[in-house]
Amino acid sequence: MRGGSIPLLAWGAVLAVLMIGCWIWTRGDTIQVGTFAFAVTVVWGSAGLLAAKGGRQSLRRGAPPPERTPDAIPTASLGAVLVAVAVGSIVFGFAFGRFLVFFGAGLLVLSVGIVVHEVREERRAARALTSQRREGDPR
Amino acid sequence: MAVQAPAAPLPRVRGAGWIGALTSTDHKRIGLNLGLCSLAFFLLGGVFALIMRSQLASPNAHVVSDYTYSELFTMHGSTMIYLFVTPMAIAMALYLVPLQIGALRVAGPRCALCGFWIWLFGGLTMQSGWLAADGAGRDGWFSYVPLSNSANTPGVGQDLWTLGVILAAVGMTIMGACVVATIARHRAPGMALLRMPVFTWTALVAVLMVVGSFPVLVVAMTLLYIERTTGANIYTGFSGAIDYQNLFWFFGHPVVYVMFFPYLGAAAEAIAVNAHRRWFGYKAFVISIMLFAALSMSVWAHHMFTTGGSTNEYFAFTSTALAVPAGIEYFDMAGTLIGGSIVLRCSMLFGLTFFVQFLIGGVTGIFVASPVLDYQANDSYMVIAHFHYTLFAGSVFGFFAGVYHWFPKITGAFLRERLGKVQLAIMIVGTNLTFFPMFILGQEGMTRRIARYPQHPGWETLNRLETIGAGLIAVGIAVFLVNVWVSLRRREPAGADPWLGHTLEWATASPPPPLNFETPLPPIRSYAPLFDLHEEAMDRAREGVSA
Repeated sequence: MRGGSIPLLAWGAVLAVLMIGCWIWTRGDTIQVGTFAFAVTVVWGSAGLLAAKGGRQSLRRGAPPPERTPDAIPTASLGAVLVAVAVGSIVFGFAFGRFLVFFGAGLLVLSVGIVVHEVREERRAARALTSQRREGDPR
Repeated sequence: MAVQAPAAPLPRVRGAGWIGALTSTDHKRIGLNLGLCSLAFFLLGGVFALIMRSQLASPNAHVVSDYTYSELFTMHGSTMIYLFVTPMAIAMALYLVPLQIGALRVAGPRCALCGFWIWLFGGLTMQSGWLAADGAGRDGWFSYVPLSNSANTPGVGQDLWTLGVILAAVGMTIMGACVVATIARHRAPGMALLRMPVFTWTALVAVLMVVGSFPVLVVAMTLLYIERTTGANIYTGFSGAIDYQNLFWFFGHPVVYVMFFPYLGAAAEAIAVNAHRRWFGYKAFVISIMLFAALSMSVWAHHMFTTGGSTNEYFAFTSTALAVPAGIEYFDMAGTLIGGSIVLRCSMLFGLTFFVQFLIGGVTGIFVASPVLDYQANDSYMVIAHFHYTLFAGSVFGFFAGVYHWFPKITGAFLRERLGKVQLAIMIVGTNLTFFPMFILGQEGMTRRIARYPQHPGWETLNRLETIGAGLIAVGIAVFLVNVWVSLRRREPAGADPWLGHTLEWATASPPPPLNFETPLPPIRSYAPLFDLHEEAMDRAREGVSA
């Protein structure tokens, strides 16, 4: 029920112990302890996110009950590729020429729109399948 | 898009041809694309290495200028680390982890796809420096300040290198986070943490390190770029240089283990399957790699022993402590082999070679983990030999163990065993001929990053041997490419489970279908669920014979 966060929590704890060792031994060197603390925060933060999402059945107890809402799995995403092209264009533009930064910014807006559209389409299809199932199975 | 119901998946709608392959959110396609691009970068980085070795074949050669040599060693190291060994490890994790844990997909498939493309743009941005008027990046793969500031290294090439590293690191972080989330959220019923396969555990600790340390590199490089372009005083003076090194090596050492763990997992899987035994000491292995990964996040300043800016005692202690979990892994490997019914297939041979070769890199790592010895070895060829034994002689052999083990799963066809053994023999000779003389040269005082060296007795011979060795490695890689070509042109069909595999990826077709599993998964009662089935079948057969 902890959303798969246990390995992250455990590993973060080992990191934290080592960080404390680093803090004591280096007499609180700001950058060394700071970078270490950043890593611990990221790992524990990720664990917290997973735990907050929660709701996962314990796998050792066997198969969880069938999900009521089907899982929508995208098979292709032009939007995701365009987001990457936009980010690449903006970053490359810093060195190559400002026009690429503007082009990338425009493309980023467009590609995020495409991703949003894709996600909405997926959800619509998932809802349609759910209602189809309900019609076929009155339970 | 497909709408996946747990019991009855609908048929997928997917784009055809190149567009479909390049925009696919299937984790297998993303992993394959990432792996193929990494392999292309590996060949490019290999060409850089061959040119460098040609330059060093004689003391005062003029194959390239000193300036170009600086570009070559920078781009060789950068290409191999940011664009080959690390992303290839992530590619293997992306392809195999969902299959091994019985998942239908990777978590955040769009993010994974986006991460792949951002990484690829990073690689292309880095390499585009070759087209710049002042050439590509030339400050080493670590790009220390103040050498890399705009006063000491002016020009767009170094800017492109910096931006390329940022993009590559961001892309790999995104893909790594997707693998973490997949393991956390998408394991099949029964796949508890202590039933995850060995490779999945190694991939998990590797991507945890990616998530924990790569953002620090992004910060370090972003600040460097800002300093280079705006003239802001960020890394100024002695403390600025030390701060940069701390930030860089906080990424730079963990990445060495990101480049190690998944290949260790691949070699371990290949050895267990070919020894027809479960991986020995599974729980000790899991605990040891968790500890190994955490320790390897806490050793970064051993790269800074000679700077006077690090607390050497702490980092020498943690660096030396790494030998303990490493020893457990070697013990587990030996335990798996003892009493096994060993088949010496290519994957097994590459896996064993990985362990043997890596041992040389690991043991010499303990030498340089001692500040007293590191003061002598620092910036010499001793260090070059040490890390090439870990990264090339170690990781690349582990990579090939994985390739020979999983190629039938990925393509549905066997690689040719005979060609594989020829490749292995050539690469063992080439690798040791290239990297072992570096220990002697380092001990005699030859420094790294020099295009010319003094006429010291014996140095030319040793360098020439290294150049011949590098050529042999290239021949070995060529044999591998021929093997892939021949095996795909004249296919020998592999079937779903050609090796009597232990883990869930062998329970599905080869190559796996779009949603990974079309038939119900076998019961998962251990970290080797298919091995359980094979054992049960053997027991039933024995009972039948005795009855």
